[in-house]
Amino acid sequence: MIPPSQNFHRSVGVWFVGFLQYQTAYHIQKYLANLHSISNSLKEEQLNDGTILMVEHAPVYTTGIRTSNDVESEEKRLKALGAEFYKTNRGGLTTFHGPGQLVVYPVLNLKHFNKSMKWYVCKLEETIIQLCKSFGVEAGRSSNTGVWVKNEKLCAIGVHGSRYITTHGLALNVNTDLSWFSHIVPCGIPDKGVTSLSQVSGKQLTIANVINPFLESFSHEFDCQIKMLPFEVRENIVNHLKNERLINGATEDQLLENKSFIANQL
Amino acid sequence: MAVCASLFFKCRRLPSTLLNLRPLVLSLNAQSTRTFCSTKALAARKYTEQHEWVDVQGTIGTVGVTDYAQTALGDVVFAQLPEPDSELNQMDDCGALESVKAASELYCPVSGTVVEKNKDVEETPALINQSPYEQGWLFKIQLSKPEELDALLDEAGYENHLKNTGH
Repeated sequence: MIPPSQNFHRSVGVWFVGFLQYQTAYHIQKYLANLHSISNSLKEEQLNDGTILMVEHAPVYTTGIRTSNDVESEEKRLKALGAEFYKTNRGGLTTFHGPGQLVVYPVLNLKHFNKSMKWYVCKLEETIIQLCKSFGVEAGRSSNTGVWVKNEKLCAIGVHGSRYITTHGLALNVNTDLSWFSHIVPCGIPDKGVTSLSQVSGKQLTIANVINPFLESFSHEFDCQIKMLPFEVRENIVNHLKNERLINGATEDQLLENKSFIANQL
Repeated sequence: MAVCASLFFKCRRLPSTLLNLRPLVLSLNAQSTRTFCSTKALAARKYTEQHEWVDVQGTIGTVGVTDYAQTALGDVVFAQLPEPDSELNQMDDCGALESVKAASELYCPVSGTVVEKNKDVEETPALINQSPYEQGWLFKIQLSKPEELDALLDEAGYENHLKNTGH
């Protein structure tokens, strides 16, 4: 194994999957969260301090815990547009995920960082703000969680914490088709719009342009080394999903494919 | 010095001087009653390492989150509380609190049956931040295993826990 860097005393694994179905990504998060949680209760140095899952979804709308149980008509309406729909246990209201949007799910063990959700969300915001700077974009916070450029939201955040293990995460519009957002009140804020990194920077950016800068920024803000998630761990996850009949053969192949995006040690 | 205000209510014919004293007596009574109750509550209140507290009167425990917890959460915008009649085991996930787009799980500190949830907190989740030990109570539970309380932390134990885990 690669020896830990002298600058960081924390280490986080990253897995860039590419296109992945929303539910499959959630099953992977739950599996990772469980691993980290067990490692907590056993009080052993079994795992690293967190795992970041980076994905891109086909069009899907999701809601958070504040949503009432009566979402049938909303669900029908949004599905009719050709998107999937899921009610989740994260914070935040309704949002959209789709092609051209980098979705990041950090499954972190906050016991090894800072045991505050407020701190965690603030750090996620800072990660994106610094990432934007590297593209020449001045982004900031507002009284509403997320990362904004003027009155438009660039990056949505909605997370869940259980026994100090985080799931769900953030969604950064890189070159998303923003018209999908017109069918909802994004995050329940009616008088503000959405934007994308391509739009505000004036550059034709894709997710591939953003991955490494994102990880660099994350590594800096969370003060941790980032390494590719080892193949054995990925294999264990895939086997678990197979045993639970949660994935098909094509997804299995895709998940085990080696991605060359993260080439260098950060 | 708890003066029995109920006597004043019952007694219809009082000299005017005593009647004039009634507001003072009522306020003194209220103050001393409040002080007495919170001292008793401190003695009865137990804590978990997950920053919940439980205050047991008889067989009913009132559950909430600590001041440390509400600070770590930030402004609470939503409280998902367990429904009355739900049966819970100690450390079961029993709800969540949402703040800054982050949903944090609640854990039940003791086993039992939920008898009441705090509807005021459902309507005004900020009560949890403003008054985590009083108006911000979350739910009440009929304990099925009171012996579980012995394993929970007392006030000093909880303070120690905060110190030792670097809070």
